[in-house]
Amino acid sequence: MSVLERLAAFFAILGHYPAYILAYFFETLFMLIFVVIMLIVMIYLFRKYMARVQLRIGPNRVGKAGTLQLIADALKLVGKESILPSRRDDLPYKIAPIVVFLGLIMAFAIIPYGDFYYIGSLTITHSNVSLLLLFAALAIMPVGEVLAGVSSKNKYAVLGALRGVAKDISFEVPMMISVLALVMMASARTNQPLNMVNLISVQSIPYGIPQVIGLGVFFIAMIARAAYSPFDMSESDSELVSGHSIEYSGMRFGMFYMGMFGSIFLGSMIVSLLYLGAYNGPFSGDAGFVYLFIKAMILVILSFTIWLSVPRIRIDRFVNMGWKYLLPAAIINLVIAGILTLGLSL
Amino acid sequence: MVVEGEKIDQSKEWVELNIGPQHPSTHGVLRLRVKLDGETVKEVEPIIGYLHRNAEKLCEMDYYCDSLIYFDRMDYVGAMNMELGYLEAAEKVLGIPPPERAQWIRVIMAELNRIAAHLVWAGAFGLDLGMLTPFFYCFIEREKILRIFTAVSGSRQQTNYMSIGGVYQDIDDQIIYDIDQFTEEFPKKLEEIFNTFVKNDIFISRNKGVGILEPEVAIEYGVTGPMLRASGVEYDVRKAEPYLVYDKLNFDIPVSFKKDNLARFLVRFEEMRQSIRIIKQAIKKIPDGPYFNPKAKKSLMIRLRGEGEAYARTESSKGEFGVYIVADGSVKPYRVHVRSPAMRNLSVLPYLAKDVMIADLFSISGTTDLVFGEVDR
Repeated sequence: MSVLERLAAFFAILGHYPAYILAYFFETLFMLIFVVIMLIVMIYLFRKYMARVQLRIGPNRVGKAGTLQLIADALKLVGKESILPSRRDDLPYKIAPIVVFLGLIMAFAIIPYGDFYYIGSLTITHSNVSLLLLFAALAIMPVGEVLAGVSSKNKYAVLGALRGVAKDISFEVPMMISVLALVMMASARTNQPLNMVNLISVQSIPYGIPQVIGLGVFFIAMIARAAYSPFDMSESDSELVSGHSIEYSGMRFGMFYMGMFGSIFLGSMIVSLLYLGAYNGPFSGDAGFVYLFIKAMILVILSFTIWLSVPRIRIDRFVNMGWKYLLPAAIINLVIAGILTLGLSL
Repeated sequence: MVVEGEKIDQSKEWVELNIGPQHPSTHGVLRLRVKLDGETVKEVEPIIGYLHRNAEKLCEMDYYCDSLIYFDRMDYVGAMNMELGYLEAAEKVLGIPPPERAQWIRVIMAELNRIAAHLVWAGAFGLDLGMLTPFFYCFIEREKILRIFTAVSGSRQQTNYMSIGGVYQDIDDQIIYDIDQFTEEFPKKLEEIFNTFVKNDIFISRNKGVGILEPEVAIEYGVTGPMLRASGVEYDVRKAEPYLVYDKLNFDIPVSFKKDNLARFLVRFEEMRQSIRIIKQAIKKIPDGPYFNPKAKKSLMIRLRGEGEAYARTESSKGEFGVYIVADGSVKPYRVHVRSPAMRNLSVLPYLAKDVMIADLFSISGTTDLVFGEVDR
C-alpha cells in the first residue's frame, strides 16, 4: 500500500476524487519538504566537503559545526533587498527563477522513490508515461535560465544564456539516445506500459552493467544539466561573473542556487534509478528508498569531487564533445543494447 | 617591426562588453573593453589607472629611506623584489653598497618572494580556469614563506625589510633553520600542486596552443620575465647582468619554445624549482659579518645625500624591474621612474587575445601575471 493510498483512505470520508486530490496535495507537500531539507543538507555537505578538499575548516560558527549556517544564509537571502535592473523585461525576469525551481520540483514529483518499511511506496506519480514525463520536466529548467538571461538585459547574462542553449542542445540528444537504449532493453521483456517503475522492475541486473557507455554518457549529461564544473560554462564565475543569474539578488538568486544543487541531487537520483539498480538492494525489499538514497548520495559526493578537481571546459570544445563523442557513443550503446536484447535475449 | 593587428571593421556593430574593473578574473582593477562577435573576441582594449597612487611623485617628496614603502606597495605579492629594485638604484646614487652578508640575505629573501609571487599567480590562474582547489594549496605554501617574512621583518606582505645599505635586521639561526626546513619540504608540495594542474586533460587542452606569443613580438612590446622566456628568448637579468651575488650562484634559466599559455605555466613552475636551488646554495654560503653598511646607520638615514643618476634593473617575479633615480645633491631624489614589467606584459594582451574565445581571453590575461599595484603604480 503506497503513501498515496493511505492518504486517500484517510480522506475517504470526503468522497473519492476530493480524497485523491488532497492525497496528491499532501504527498507533494511532503516531497517538497523532503527536497528542501535535502537541498539544505546538500549545500552544507558541499561546503564541508569543499573545505576538506581544500584543507580548510568550512562553516563552523553558526550552530554546532556550522550546521545552522545554511539556515542563517537562507534567512539572509530572504531578508535581502531584491535589486531589480531598471531595463529588465519585467514578467520574464520575475518568473524565470520560479520556472527553474518549479521545473526541479516537478521532476522530483515524477520519479519513483521505492518502498520505505511500513509506510509503503513513496512514489507520487503513478503514470504510464512517467519516463517521458520526467524528461519533459527536465526540459523546463533550461527555459527558465534562458528567460533569466534574456530578460535581465545584461550582456553577461545574454552570453550566459547563449552558452546555456548551445550546451543544452549538445548534451540532450545523446542523453535521450542513451535512455532510448534502456527503453529498448526493457520493452523486449514486458508487455506492460513502460513507466519508470516497470522499467526498473524488469531488470535482471542493473542497466549500468550491460550499458556502461550509456551510463557514462548519461552521467556526463547530468553533470552538464546541473551546470557545475567542468561544464559550468553558462554561469562561469571567472568569465561571465555568474552568467544568466548575474542580475538576480535576494531570494530570486537563492532559487537559482537551489536549482543548481537540486539539479545535482536530481541527476544523481535519476542516474541511480535508471542505471544503478534503483531501489533494489541486497537485503530487504522494504528499504528501497534507503538504497536509492545511498546510491544517490554516493553519486552526489562523486559529483562534488569532479566539481572541485577539474577546470572549466571551453564551450566550443564542449559542443564538439557533445556531437563528436557523446552522440556516437550513445548510438554505439544503442546498437550494443539491441544486440544484447534481440541477439542474446539477455 | 611594428606589430599592429589588422583593424576590425568599425562600421559593423560589435557587441561591446565592458569587463572590469570589478570582475573576478581581472586580478585587481584591470578594465577590458572587448568587442565581441558571438563568443569570439575581436578586439581588446585594456584600460589601466584605477589603482594609480602616484608612487613616483611621492618618492620625490620623501627621503631616500622613506620611499621604500611605496615600492612595497607596487607589486604587493612580491614586495622584497620591489625593495631590491629600488635599493639597487638608490645605493648606486648614494654610494652606499651593502656588505656581503646583506647581499646574501637579500638574495634569499628575493628568491623566497619570487616563489611566493609565483604561487599566488598559480592559484589565481587556476581560478581563472575554474579550478577552485589549487588556489588553497598554493596559498597554504605561500603562508609558510610569509611566516618567514614575519619572523625577519615583522610584516607579512609589505615587508619593508631591506633598507639602504643592508637589511633592517639580521637573520638568526632560527630563521635560517626555518628557511632550510622550507626548502626541504617545499619541492614535494610543489610537485603536488604541479600535478593537480598538469595531470588534467582539460587544463592541458585549455592552455596548449592558446595565446601564442612570437619572440619578435614579445621583444617589440618590451615583454620580459617568464613571458619572454616562454617565447624562447633566454633573457634573465640575473644572468645577463648579475646583481648582488647571483654570479656566485649556480642556477638555470628555464626557457620554453612552445610560446603558448602552457609554456608560460611550465616556465614559472620551473623558476620556482630554480629558486629553491638558489636558496639552498645561499643558505650554505651565507657569510658572517655586518648586515648593514655603517655609512647608513639608522640615525643618519635621513641625511643621506646623492648626486648624479642611476638606473638599476632587477629580475622581479614579473620580469625586468627597472628603477631610474636622478639625484640633485639634496636629501630627496629629484626624479624616480619605474619600469614596470607587468605593464609591458599587459600591453601585449590586445595582440595575444585577438580572435580567441572569451574563455581564452581570461586564461591569456591570467598568464600575463598582472599585479595592478605595479601596473598603475
